[in-house]
Amino acid sequence: MSDPALKAVNLVKVYSGGAVPVHAVRGVDLQVEPGEFVAVMGPSGSGKSTLVHMLGGLDTRTSGEIWVGGTRADTLSESAWALLRRKKIGFVFQFFNLVASMTVADNVELPALLGGASPREARERREHLLGALNLTDRADASPARLSGGEQQRVALARALANKPSVLLADEPTGNLDSRNTRDVLRLLGEVHRDGQTIVMVTHDARVAGLADRVVALFDGEVVDDGRITRRRTGTAGAVIDLR
Amino acid sequence: MSTTRAGIRWIRADLRARKGQATLTVLVVAGIVAALIAAVTLLEDGTNPWRGLFAQTEGAHVWFYTKDNTAQLVATGQIDGVTSVAGPYRSAPVTVVQDGKKEPAALRALPAAPPRVAHPVVTEGRWLDTAEPGGVVVERSYARALRLRIGAPFTIIALSGERHSLYVRGIADSAEQGFYPEWTPGLAWVLPETLDRVEPMLGRSQWVTGLRLTDAESAQVVSQRVVVMLDDELQRLYTWREIRAAMELDNRLLGTLLALFGVVGLIAAALALANAAGGRVLGQLRDLATLKSMGFTKGQIALLLLVEHGALGLLGIALGTLAGWGGTVAVLGTTSVAPMPVLAILAGTALVVLAAVGLPAWRGGRTPPIPAAPALPPRGHLSRLARLALLVRLPPALVLGTRDAFTRRVPAFLTAFGLAVPMMMITIGLGVWATLDNFAGHPEQVGQHAALHVGPGKLTAAEAERHIRADRDVRAFYPGTDVNALAPGEGRSVRVRAIGGSAEPYPFPVVEGRQYAEPGEAVAGQGLLDLLGVKIGDRVRLTVGGSPLIVRIVGRAIEPDSDGEVLSVGLDSLAAKDTVPPEFYALALKPGADPAEVAARLLTESGESLDVQIVVNPADRLAVIRVVIVALIAVLTLIGLANLLTASALGLRDHAVDLAVLKAMGLTPRQVMATLVTGTGLLVVLGVAAGTAAGASVVTGLIDLQGHTSGVGAGIARPPSAMTLAVAVLVAVGTALAVALIPARRAARAQVPVTSR
Amino acid sequence: MRLHLLALLAKEPAHGYELKQALEQTFGGAYPSPNIGQIYVTLGRLEKDGLVRAVDVEQSNRPNKKVYYCTAKGRDVLTLWADEPTEGPRVRDEFFMKLVLAPLTGIADRMALINRQRRHYLSLMGDLNDLQARTAPDDRVALLLIEGAMLHLQADLDWLERCQEDLA
Repeated sequence: MSDPALKAVNLVKVYSGGAVPVHAVRGVDLQVEPGEFVAVMGPSGSGKSTLVHMLGGLDTRTSGEIWVGGTRADTLSESAWALLRRKKIGFVFQFFNLVASMTVADNVELPALLGGASPREARERREHLLGALNLTDRADASPARLSGGEQQRVALARALANKPSVLLADEPTGNLDSRNTRDVLRLLGEVHRDGQTIVMVTHDARVAGLADRVVALFDGEVVDDGRITRRRTGTAGAVIDLR
Repeated sequence: MSTTRAGIRWIRADLRARKGQATLTVLVVAGIVAALIAAVTLLEDGTNPWRGLFAQTEGAHVWFYTKDNTAQLVATGQIDGVTSVAGPYRSAPVTVVQDGKKEPAALRALPAAPPRVAHPVVTEGRWLDTAEPGGVVVERSYARALRLRIGAPFTIIALSGERHSLYVRGIADSAEQGFYPEWTPGLAWVLPETLDRVEPMLGRSQWVTGLRLTDAESAQVVSQRVVVMLDDELQRLYTWREIRAAMELDNRLLGTLLALFGVVGLIAAALALANAAGGRVLGQLRDLATLKSMGFTKGQIALLLLVEHGALGLLGIALGTLAGWGGTVAVLGTTSVAPMPVLAILAGTALVVLAAVGLPAWRGGRTPPIPAAPALPPRGHLSRLARLALLVRLPPALVLGTRDAFTRRVPAFLTAFGLAVPMMMITIGLGVWATLDNFAGHPEQVGQHAALHVGPGKLTAAEAERHIRADRDVRAFYPGTDVNALAPGEGRSVRVRAIGGSAEPYPFPVVEGRQYAEPGEAVAGQGLLDLLGVKIGDRVRLTVGGSPLIVRIVGRAIEPDSDGEVLSVGLDSLAAKDTVPPEFYALALKPGADPAEVAARLLTESGESLDVQIVVNPADRLAVIRVVIVALIAVLTLIGLANLLTASALGLRDHAVDLAVLKAMGLTPRQVMATLVTGTGLLVVLGVAAGTAAGASVVTGLIDLQGHTSGVGAGIARPPSAMTLAVAVLVAVGTALAVALIPARRAARAQVPVTSR
Repeated sequence: MRLHLLALLAKEPAHGYELKQALEQTFGGAYPSPNIGQIYVTLGRLEKDGLVRAVDVEQSNRPNKKVYYCTAKGRDVLTLWADEPTEGPRVRDEFFMKLVLAPLTGIADRMALINRQRRHYLSLMGDLNDLQARTAPDDRVALLLIEGAMLHLQADLDWLERCQEDLA
């Protein structure tokens, strides 16, 4: 059996900055298989974002282990984490975080270049992604001129530019209206069908509904972890019950 | 490699997004580097010509003039430390007529075969030849001052009044005296037989002897031996130190000024750079975090920022080097720029630039990789100043602006300080300007009461006086004579200027002590006091042409000539043999009279017999300083602007969120604009006021210090007038507000979304 | 379904099969396909109440068909239906009852109940997502219906979260 795409063993995070240490994550075990789409849910303050940040090396863990594609990552230095992220991890954030001074095209090409692609490869990959996301005509625009949904689609393209083995997303639709959410949702569903492993923090049930598996966090601990079954009846009547 | 490509993309995009600021940074650094290079070139160039010329000509360290050619002269070659003797050469005073002007010169007899020691080095044309007895070789600075070219006629008038026509056969460099016109008379070499023809009277000539020493430092000791040995025979003596000092006279002043401006400017520029880079990094924290989440390491981010901001600095350095080099060569006509100091400047500036952007870059690298929600400015409570503003019922926009000014304390301080430093330097620059204006407007305050010096020429003293008295524009005239006096123990000559009488003294600008009032009293320049180590009230004993001159120094006068190493006495303090007839008359003109006009009239009236010279105002010699001041003010303004742009960019960033709220609260766009402008404007006013105050308080001290060290003496400095300062402050504040207004206007008009993005 | 059919008949008279088609056309794939038998049963009840009336229409080489039309009384009932505000979503939720009462008897754990319910809601949501993906983008009535269902589910999930925070 192949290695899990992502694995956390007894992961703990304590913020000791303030007067009282805050236990944000208390011993989370999590294993994500390649191709899986995991939704991480829970009330605010339950440690969802901290967990995903730690899984991507954006935040340091207090104790526990993190394995990315079979290599142990929690012991890595900040710089080594950065190198790992380049190749294996794509991030999507709530506030899109496109580099404001760069065009849409440059934003998408940047991680590909960073990952070691030649300028030509990066351009081809960018053209492909923007085409798939229906953003080809926006390639030369500045991110500030795009709507929120468009920006998040660009951010998604950027996260996918490197064909990461894991896509980590932190409330990707938290800042979008329902129409834009639908666009992003469709995209996430598509990339997942193409075999992309996704771990996503979300509050949005519609987004979570796309996932194969839901992990519910409460007060820094996993309170539920299970597959979401689909009836896949195919008829509308089975889904919408007219009373 | 991959990081390089990605990094370059980011840098390029970021630079494109802030073209104006980037250009400004480059210009600031370029300006500073240009100023520093010009400074060092001037300072280096001041000493270099002597060193180079001395080496080329295998020059002599000690030169002395005697009345006769005696056997004792040869004996000076036996003094310990003397390796060889140049001369004695016969030298006769003549006047060169060129383009209607008359310039003094010493005609020196040298053999057709150039001597081994202290031989002039021909730069154009040829050396003297016995086949061409009409040929003359002219010292280069003299030739340039007279615009003489090879083959040009060289008309001289001997003491007898007889005219001789020679021609310029060659132009040569020499290290035996300073450059004309700082050092007079000019120098020209002829064959001994030519000199005999021009000046047959041995009594009207002198003998010049040079001594080359094994050790330049022993010049002092050797000169004292010469003084003792020759005693009464000796008329004048100087060493290589005076020659070197004469050669660097003007440039040193300019160089010091530039260096001062350059160094302080560099500090200001470093501050501006650090400010700009820091502000930019602060504005980019989210982008930097995003880059990190993409896989840039801490070190790479820091390097990226260092490269981006450092590259601007280095580009500025490159441009500045070109400009400084080109400018120095073009404006000052120097041909060589010393490589070592320039390299040192480049390395130093580069270090300063990298250090200035290093800290913000390092901090940028430490940005946590989690892109937080848009950074909000610290919400300060109303500052004390803002509360004061509220108390005196200022309009709301002003109160808000006042609050904003100090929300971020460190940047607020940096902005004010960053404006204060250039403003201080501008004030100092204006002070130098005012001092120069004072030189030009009130020459009598710098020892140039007389606008014309008239020599009797072919006329007797009585005739000359009659012509002078007859002229309607002459207010007063003072007979005078310059003699060389030997200072005991100093082993060198100083200039004694006897002018006016004790009863009717020449109005020297005495800044300490008092004017001389009776025979045996004297006033001195700062240079002389320093040289002899005496102070006002001391008695000094000098030897003039063999006879002792004992005077008491009763005052210090501003003395722009000969590095201030001049002793001024009344004519009646000197022996009659030295003063009758007077060598020249110093003419003070009536207010409004044009010296050139009076000079022309005197010449015509006397049938070209009088020898009239217009006194050169030091301000005219220092005219280039004005150009430099203008250029420096431009550079300093750029620095100030750079700081200002950073400040307003930071202010705007902090307010992006506030603006919508302010508008929702009912502030009109005009009030929003006023709020923003007040925020930066307050800092501007603070900085400008502090800088002006600081500059005004040090400017006279600095200029006087410079005056003191250059020998002219303290007391020349004039602070910029209150009017000038007020205008400067108003212009600075006005420009700053206008600059701050543009982004504020745009921000106030823009539709700002209420949601954070 | 009574009033829905009545509304369609108020628009124009129709026979049973035409009504089935009209329902499917108007609501698209989001509406559960109605059973033709059920339609006839409903029409019969409407006729009995005097809200519709049926006429036989002769057809060549086919049996006669019954065409229904809306009566004046039917119109009054429809007007009343349209004028009344529609009842909001149920407040007394069956799951909530379970959540409060079941732990008292010791037969279930609240956390387990919540988790199971969450998965159920999410799986429903997944189905809605699938349905939404399969629905033609220009079928606006259907999409709105789906979106409405999703938002109800979202609210249910949020409420679940509140229950977890306050009860568990």
